[in-house]
Amino acid sequence: MSLFEPFHLPFMARALIELVILGVLAGTVGVLVLLRRLAFVSDTLTHTVFPGVVIGYLMAGQDGVFWGALAAGALTAVLLTVLAHRRRVSEDAALAMVLTSLFAVGVVLVSRRTAFTSDLTQFLFGRILTVTQEQLVQTAVVTVLVAGLLAVLRRQLMLRTFDPEGAAASGIRVGLLDLVMNVAVALVVVAAVQAVGTILVIALLIVPAAAARALSDRLVFIVPLACLIGALGGWLGLAASYEASVYHGLRLASGGTVVLVLVVLYGVAALAGAVRRRVGLGRARLSTPELEMTR
Amino acid sequence: MTQQQDRTAALVLEKASVAYGHVPVLEELHGTVHSGEAVALIGPNGAGKSTLIKAVLGLVPTVRGRIEVLGVTPAQARRDVAYVPQADTLDPDFPVSVEQVVMMGRYRKIGWLRRPSATDRALAAEALERVGLSDRARNRFGTLSGGQRQRVLLARAIAAQPRLLLLDEPFNGVDAVSQHALLEAIAQLKQQGAAVVVSTHDLAIAHLACDEVCLLNRHQFGFGPTDEILTPERLRATYGGHALELRGDRVIVTQT
Repeated sequence: MSLFEPFHLPFMARALIELVILGVLAGTVGVLVLLRRLAFVSDTLTHTVFPGVVIGYLMAGQDGVFWGALAAGALTAVLLTVLAHRRRVSEDAALAMVLTSLFAVGVVLVSRRTAFTSDLTQFLFGRILTVTQEQLVQTAVVTVLVAGLLAVLRRQLMLRTFDPEGAAASGIRVGLLDLVMNVAVALVVVAAVQAVGTILVIALLIVPAAAARALSDRLVFIVPLACLIGALGGWLGLAASYEASVYHGLRLASGGTVVLVLVVLYGVAALAGAVRRRVGLGRARLSTPELEMTR
Repeated sequence: MTQQQDRTAALVLEKASVAYGHVPVLEELHGTVHSGEAVALIGPNGAGKSTLIKAVLGLVPTVRGRIEVLGVTPAQARRDVAYVPQADTLDPDFPVSVEQVVMMGRYRKIGWLRRPSATDRALAAEALERVGLSDRARNRFGTLSGGQRQRVLLARAIAAQPRLLLLDEPFNGVDAVSQHALLEAIAQLKQQGAAVVVSTHDLAIAHLACDEVCLLNRHQFGFGPTDEILTPERLRATYGGHALELRGDRVIVTQT
């Protein structure tokens, strides 16, 4: 399999750059999602951003997709923060109902168009190979914005995630911080919508972070590892789908292939993590008799 | 700070009532904790001990009366107040080392962006030393035993150099070694002039570590010197008649 050759093609190069930037963005935010156990937030967002994307598309064509997603994402982030602070999120049934209805609104709206199936596929799974220069800039801007935000707030976020009451006791405005966090997740979903669609973005958020967590117990390593694994998954996935499509007549959807590669990477990381812990435990066991002998 | 105790009021409750929304949780609390003193909050589960601690932190509103912390309102005093949560409420899988947890105590003084200075590092190391866990500094927080985690959280509070320390059930499920280490560290803080508020089920610990006791169950059933307040009659009133024979069995055991 050729890892470099496909990317001489401009559209493949753009796809690669997009996925590498997204990998870094989603990797960073994903670590927070994992530690805060906020997977449901990204889940919710994928349902609510979809109708936003559809409405944006119907109103302003391809250019409207980003802004539609952004509006829906921001609204969801605010609503989720408010709900969580009123402890209503546990009302699963109500939440599920709202989410599926919103999703259905998106499906109904899109079904009125003649190119129904192709549009639906695009919104749900993205079109990484048609990423434009402009989309690259959008993704890069969002990434810089979110990375800056997280860098400035890293200590508050860490304290709030580890010890919510302690954070509140030390004067941190937890509600505001949660809003920022939810908005960050929303921005990742928005940034990834055109490339990988509203469904696959969950994998981009969760899988690299989980893999990095399996490899290390230290946050200073986990965040860069998650970025690296996210970017690596994008690269290998694109190369694999290109190889299969061009040389083996096997059409593999790029977005899906990227996610599958990420899952494989997670498998490898989980295995490596298990071995690492075994070895660590073995060492601890070994050292005990030694200690006793020196006494 | 002078070793001699100046009788500065660190915490003043003036007919204070505390409520979550419209539901009153604690009513008509009255008393004073001075610098260098420790008070035990004693009462059954759901009596409002944690709520009182949160009110002193300014996280739950005082609806009537007044709570004054270090001469100002609870929210204004946060910089000089440290809070120690129960260790088992924290996620043991969280990827954070013991020394990082202790350094969190310095965050407010460091600011949210600057790097910790040599002084911050020294204070954090010293705090960890005081709870006897210097050798575990690099371990992941979650790999420690419950009692050790509680000691790390106390070290975090010590590193913040508080003038008022609030501990929520710090002795729950803690082994004897850790209990001893916690008591030592608390006594040392008192000596240095900090006021301490500790909620506990354990009357023996109240006797051991605290100068005063506040008996709580929605209302205040007594606030004053430990020996005066911890009488069987008052305890029975606080725990509600025969409730002494119920789950609070430790209450009876420690009373004999």
